[in-house]
Amino acid sequence: MVVSIRSLEKNYGKTRALGGVNLEVERGTIFGLLGQNGAGKTTLVKILLGLVSSSAGSASLLDRPVGTFSARREVGYLPEDHRLPEYHTAVSLLHFYGTLQGIPRRERQSRIVYLLEMLGLKGREKLRIRGYSKGMKQRLGLAQALLHRPRVLFLDEPTDGVDPVGRKQIRELLLEEQKRGVTVFVNSHLLGEVEQLCDRVAILRKGLVVLSGSVAELTGLKATWLIGFDQPIPSHFSWNGGTLVPTETPGLLRLQCTEHVSSTGVVQENDLALDEFLAAAGVCGLRLRHLTRERTSLEDLYVALAHDAGDSL
Amino acid sequence: MKDPIRSGTYSEESTIGCSNVVQTFVAMMSDAWREFLDAKILYLLVSLIAILFFTVLSGRIDPLPSGRAYLDFSATAMSANLDELDLGKLTLTDIAKEHNGSVYWIVSDRAQGEDHPNSSWQVTLNRTYLPLFAQPENAADIQKRFGNIADVKLWNVREVRETTSGFITRIGFQSWQMTVDPGRDLRLLWPNRFTLFQDSLELTSSKGAPLGLEVFILQKLLTTGLGGSILLLISVAVTAAFVPNMVRKGTLELLLVRPIPRWQILLFKYCGSLLLVAALLGLLIFASWLVTGILADIWTPGVLFALPTLLLFFALLLSVSVLTGVITRSVTSAMLVTVAYWALLFIVGQFHNQVIDSRMREANIGRVKPMAIADSLRGSKSKREEPLRPGRKPFYKTTVGRVSEAIYTVLPHTEDLDNSVDRQLMRDYAVAGPFRALVESTDFSWKRGLGFTLGHTAVFLLSACLIFTRRDP
Repeated sequence: MVVSIRSLEKNYGKTRALGGVNLEVERGTIFGLLGQNGAGKTTLVKILLGLVSSSAGSASLLDRPVGTFSARREVGYLPEDHRLPEYHTAVSLLHFYGTLQGIPRRERQSRIVYLLEMLGLKGREKLRIRGYSKGMKQRLGLAQALLHRPRVLFLDEPTDGVDPVGRKQIRELLLEEQKRGVTVFVNSHLLGEVEQLCDRVAILRKGLVVLSGSVAELTGLKATWLIGFDQPIPSHFSWNGGTLVPTETPGLLRLQCTEHVSSTGVVQENDLALDEFLAAAGVCGLRLRHLTRERTSLEDLYVALAHDAGDSL
Repeated sequence: MKDPIRSGTYSEESTIGCSNVVQTFVAMMSDAWREFLDAKILYLLVSLIAILFFTVLSGRIDPLPSGRAYLDFSATAMSANLDELDLGKLTLTDIAKEHNGSVYWIVSDRAQGEDHPNSSWQVTLNRTYLPLFAQPENAADIQKRFGNIADVKLWNVREVRETTSGFITRIGFQSWQMTVDPGRDLRLLWPNRFTLFQDSLELTSSKGAPLGLEVFILQKLLTTGLGGSILLLISVAVTAAFVPNMVRKGTLELLLVRPIPRWQILLFKYCGSLLLVAALLGLLIFASWLVTGILADIWTPGVLFALPTLLLFFALLLSVSVLTGVITRSVTSAMLVTVAYWALLFIVGQFHNQVIDSRMREANIGRVKPMAIADSLRGSKSKREEPLRPGRKPFYKTTVGRVSEAIYTVLPHTEDLDNSVDRQLMRDYAVAGPFRALVESTDFSWKRGLGFTLGHTAVFLLSACLIFTRRDP
């Protein structure tokens, strides 16, 4: 396990930031950490980075206690609302952080050229950071996190302020890193992006993990199929295996199958109901032209969880 | 684009790099350098130093005719037994007390060239004495004694020939023909006219001022005085932002996540700032030494001692700034607290000087006040230290004096360091008078100043490191 957290607690005075978090993350995973403001996401990441000490429990990073130099050498970090020293240029800043990280000059040099090109900063690398747009600063922040080829990346809102093309570039870069075995921790409010990028997610609420699992598990939940036939369904057609909901488009309808809840808390659909329905439609001479399983978005799930807990959004 | 370092999957130890203390130090240094340059203040400082340089270079120092006065003074001084006397603490009146029964005077003089401090002179020296109380002097004695007043050397006697003998000598009269060359200190004590901007601004009175005193005042003004203070003040203002900017949210995390101890980050930033200011101070002091050297042709290196003194003082101020910056994370607070601390040191230091001065005055009541040779030559009359008016306490016995002394005891003794530089410069430039007497006081010790200042700096820095290391970002 790259990250292993057991009953982790953190109190700031009388305020409880983490109330016993348990979490494990495997190598090569892109892991999304979600939660509302004040849920404890940043505190959890800071503990893993050794920036903040925990009040109770244990956490290890790459099988080493968090906060040790050997663990820190292996991580790259992009904090939320980071403020890069504006008196630097992109190149000088990366050289500065690279030197602190202990990267030999020659390697540093070539790595900087590579990252600046990959992140679309080539040509503007000699400008003072003061003159950078928010998106450019974000890309540079990402470059510093990737500079020393870390094995674990902690990224807080990595695409904040970045244009759509830039977001795609960043996504591709992170997927490239993942292929090389890098574990990526993403902390973001852009749930659509998390859904696109992450393999697994955990949702934190008031310092506790309330839901965790693979994105596929968490979003492929709805037992609803959107079905289209070559002609409108005859009025005499009836079927009792589930609920049929007509749509505004002729020939297109929704089929809500019977749902059940698995032991992990994830709702699963009953595929058997779909088979039976399609067989019955076939008997009526309807030919299938469209079939999509409707999914729950991460956002729907997140909002539903917040509503269930009575939190304000 | 292919990653030039490594492609393929990571091995267990694939992360590149291993931090190194020297590399870290160099990186923090260059970071401080960039931040300093970014403040644009460096250009202002270098411009100020350049303006100062050219202003002083526009000046002229012209010697005023004074050869006869210094020859007369040397002859008069021979009338006394001056062995073991310190001119810095004694006056002509003091010296006269040691009169040994002889009177020497110059009867004729002729400069070989102009009447300026580099010329040699043909001199006739006469002596009259009471044969019962004194013996005739031979030419070798005259050669040894003429022009030497305590530790000050005005003239070197190159040739001497006695023109009297026999009966005349036995009844108490001697005369010598001498050729004298300027001594080591003659130029320093010679009155000079000092003007700036090609004679358009006269800075001395019509009688001029001793060259050594002019150079002393100029160097002090440029280094430990106004010039150094302005430079330090600007440096305090600029460097006060360094730590608060570094420890602000969003920037600090990017540093703390590196595999280096936290105290190193803070300490190296401190050292980087210090080295920067050291370079600027070095430039200022070297420029001062150079311009006064060019202007007055005096190349004594005493002023270079101002560099460690000023640097030590700045190290102390910077440690206060760093500590305040770590605690408050505010640039304004760091700046204000540091300037307030500086003001406290200055005020308490001035009170300390007053305490020392009042002690000396009390110990010397009834004795002649110290006076410089130049003042003696101008005809200034020696004054005696007067007793205090009835019912009035000396300053060191007053409540203010006692409280300021108590505060000075626990504060860094920066006044000791300042006075040590003044003492060195005054010795180099043969400056005498009441201020010389004060700085020569044994109550000042550069060792104590160094120890106290370093100690305080270390305590402030350690506290800052401790807080910085333990506090959550």
